[in-house]
Amino acid sequence: MTIEHEILVIAAKSYGLFYLIGLSVIVLAYTFWPSNKKPFERAAKSIMEDEDRPWQ
Amino acid sequence: MFNIHYRLERYSIRFAIGVLIVASIGGFVEIAPLFTIDETVESAPDMRVYTPLELAGRNIYIREGCYACHSQMIRTLRDEVERYGPYSLAAESQYDHPMLWGSKRTGPDLARIGGKYSDDWHVAHLNNPRDVVPPSVMPSYRWLGETELSRQDLVLDLKALQRLGVPYSEEMVTNATADAYGQAMPDSDEAEGVAERYGDATHIRDFDGNRQKVTELDALIAYLQILGRLTDAAYQNPALQKLGGPK
Amino acid sequence: MMVSQLTVGERQLALVLLILMAVWGLVMTLAGADGLFQAQGTLIFLYSLGGIFLVLSGYFLPPPAANREDRYYDDPTKAGIILAMIWALIAMFVGDWVAWLLAYPEMTFDAAWASFGRLRPVHTTGIIFGFGGNALIAASLHVVQRTSRARLPDQLSPWFVLFGYNLFCLLAVSGYLIGITQSKEYAEPEWYADIWLVVVWVTYFILYLRVLARRKEPHIYVANWYFMAFILVVAVLHIVNNLALPIAFNHVKSYSAFSGVQDAMTQWWYGHNAVAFFLTAGFLGMLYYFLPKRAERPIYSYRMSIIGFWGITFFYMWAGSHHLHYTALPTWVQTLGMTFSAMLLVPSWIAAGNALMTLNGAWHRVRDDATLRFMMVAAVFYGLSTFEGSFMAIRPVNALSHYTDWTIGHVHAGALGWVALITFGTIYSLVPWLWKKERMYSPKLVEVHFWLALAGVLIYVFAMWNSGIIQGLMWRTYDDAGTLAYSFVESMEAMHPYYIARAIGGLLFLIGTAVGSYNIWRTIRMPESAGVVETPVPEPAARPVLRSGE
Ligand code: HEC
Ligand code: HEM
Repeated sequence: MTIEHEILVIAAKSYGLFYLIGLSVIVLAYTFWPSNKKPFERAAKSIMEDEDRPWQ
Repeated sequence: MFNIHYRLERYSIRFAIGVLIVASIGGFVEIAPLFTIDETVESAPDMRVYTPLELAGRNIYIREGCYACHSQMIRTLRDEVERYGPYSLAAESQYDHPMLWGSKRTGPDLARIGGKYSDDWHVAHLNNPRDVVPPSVMPSYRWLGETELSRQDLVLDLKALQRLGVPYSEEMVTNATADAYGQAMPDSDEAEGVAERYGDATHIRDFDGNRQKVTELDALIAYLQILGRLTDAAYQNPALQKLGGPK
Repeated sequence: MMVSQLTVGERQLALVLLILMAVWGLVMTLAGADGLFQAQGTLIFLYSLGGIFLVLSGYFLPPPAANREDRYYDDPTKAGIILAMIWALIAMFVGDWVAWLLAYPEMTFDAAWASFGRLRPVHTTGIIFGFGGNALIAASLHVVQRTSRARLPDQLSPWFVLFGYNLFCLLAVSGYLIGITQSKEYAEPEWYADIWLVVVWVTYFILYLRVLARRKEPHIYVANWYFMAFILVVAVLHIVNNLALPIAFNHVKSYSAFSGVQDAMTQWWYGHNAVAFFLTAGFLGMLYYFLPKRAERPIYSYRMSIIGFWGITFFYMWAGSHHLHYTALPTWVQTLGMTFSAMLLVPSWIAAGNALMTLNGAWHRVRDDATLRFMMVAAVFYGLSTFEGSFMAIRPVNALSHYTDWTIGHVHAGALGWVALITFGTIYSLVPWLWKKERMYSPKLVEVHFWLALAGVLIYVFAMWNSGIIQGLMWRTYDDAGTLAYSFVESMEAMHPYYIARAIGGLLFLIGTAVGSYNIWRTIRMPESAGVVETPVPEPAARPVLRSGE
């Protein structure tokens, strides 16, 4: 049982690290992907438009 | 049209699942090992469970929100050990569903309050703290001594805890109501069973000085007087010496 | 009238649901093993009965116009704003009451319900769930419709969410007063209320997804990400932390499925992430929509908002254990919590910085517009309190700060400075938009509210920093003989002046909220965009008075 606990602890610690790095890479790639630039800029501006009623 | 909607919907659900996964992994990784930790926690073979009366007192402690002002967790810091006693071990709250470690010390830590004061002191203090400690900001709990303790559900309480893994025996469960009465009525027939089931060291006495009935005050004081005394493990802990040891 | 906007089918379904709820309440009342369970059942019953009368009174109104689809559905948002303000008044009043109790413990009635330990959770639940939760539901329904360019898919489910949610809050708060609590901080309500919240919350989540599924805009605007994370993660946290075994199904009492260390860790995993996903993510959703709108400038960097989002979603979950430094929790878990708490500063400051940079070039607006200033100061307090939080998560710092008033000061820098101020900014923006008024009834009173609130926060937070640090130091000071220099009671006495100061700061904040409520009320009663009313003029009876939903 102790071994099981230790394995879990090790897994928690090391897996967490890789997971953290992997996730950061994915997020950064998504954010700075050149082709995403335009949609993002559009999105930021889109809320400024008039919004009286839903689009049909 | 339908097709586009369908795809959009999938997209937002996928997004939701992404959030869920990213968010839950942290919690899972952090908590999972604690559920296998039982085996590595210090063992406390001498530890006993709460008697029904003490459990009822604990539930009053919860009900009145004492935990909002009092912690029950002495940290591994020298000044805390000197002020409150040996630091708290995980084993000491192993039967606490839920734990009452607390997060704010408007009043002092109570993890080892058991035996620090007499029952009479507690009666006076809970009745009006300012009678005993003039500058105190603790509320008065005058109604506790007047309210008869409701005992009939204690069987259900013990049964629920038993199901959650607290080692109550069948006998303890069946006799819960009588034991709660007996522990606060030392001269009654019910008193004998308490020592039999929970050990000779159990406090069997009239806690609130009112012989007529078993009150909520009886239960609460019974609980306070056992805090920190369910096991000796904390006093035996060799690591304690590094922090100066108990006073 | 809210009912007039429901289709006939929805009115019928509403009745069915309310009758089911009433039956549930009745069963609890009749089968309850004790007075507590019965009282809660009766509350549910009466609440549902009220709903039934409301629906019946409008049942035969003509059905809503078929062209309703080309309007957003804002009635639930309006109701949510009003409810949020009502809860704010109640919960801040109780907050100030308990604040005075810590200075003068006899300032209460000699009754169980009026003692500190029962009132304090009324304050925390009332403010976090009552005020914060209603504001979040209201704002999120507004934002998701606008950014999706789509109307809510039906008229009934938002009302179910709102009324169901407020029933939960009422059950919780009334329960504490009569002695029902699980004692888990911010998760005090007992099992039946918890189950009810799950039902409500799942409806909320599905509603949100359904709006997104109808959206005409291909990209999901970032504010919605935050709202989604808020809804979703709160659901997970709530379910896990509240796992408990009731002693019987006709009894209020339950026992937590966890005990000792596991319970502590689960509780603070919950507690900390409730701060993260309820009090941070949800309100960042507000910030990312209403701040740009009010400043009339798009968010400074959309990319930063995305990075910030994933950072917060990821890092927060690991940080809970910083609540348990030097306790019986294994050290490695404490270290993990500390490390991630430090890293949390990055996404937090990204968000705060992004907000402030958005205002760059619009400072004249901040100067002139108290509503925008509410949001700006909120962003500043968000930055400050996340910095403070990361600092307090460092183990040696925590050794001093934990258990003291410093924590309370930190909580309220976030709660008053960030949560309440961003909410007031949002509400002041929304009220004129939704009720179709040119502006708030009195911009001057918005200004008054702003300064009262700011003064209140500053007094509160400085008082608690002082008392917390003094308290922490007194507890660990040794005299020359090597013994502890101060008794506990001496440290308690030293707090007295600070507790008075805090209570005064809280009173100012509360007065500000009252002024705001009055202003909002008067704005709602103003004629629709019909010029400017400067001084309080009584409403002439002839003028059409607009009520929510008409
Ligand atoms: C408003 C916060 C507050 C609440 C709520 C509160 N207390 Fe206290 N308590 C204090 C303060 C402050 C002290 C220190 C002054 C004193 O001894 O009265 C104290 C002291 C005590 C002591 C003495 C501790 C010692 O080591 O001297 C006990 C025992 C105690 N409280 C029990 C309780 C119980 C039981 C409840 C719930 C029924 C409770 N307290 C609720 C603030 C509170
Ligand atoms: C009028 C304004 C307010 C006053 C006077 C006030 C007062 C208080 C007081 C006296 C306490 C108990 C502190 C203690 O036990 O020592 C408290 C706790 C708390 N309050 Fe407030 N409060 C106010 C507004 C708010 C707001 C707006 C929020 C959240 C959005 C909030 C969230 C909390 C929380 C989470 C706690 C528990 C802190 C902990 O246990 O660490 N409060 N408040």
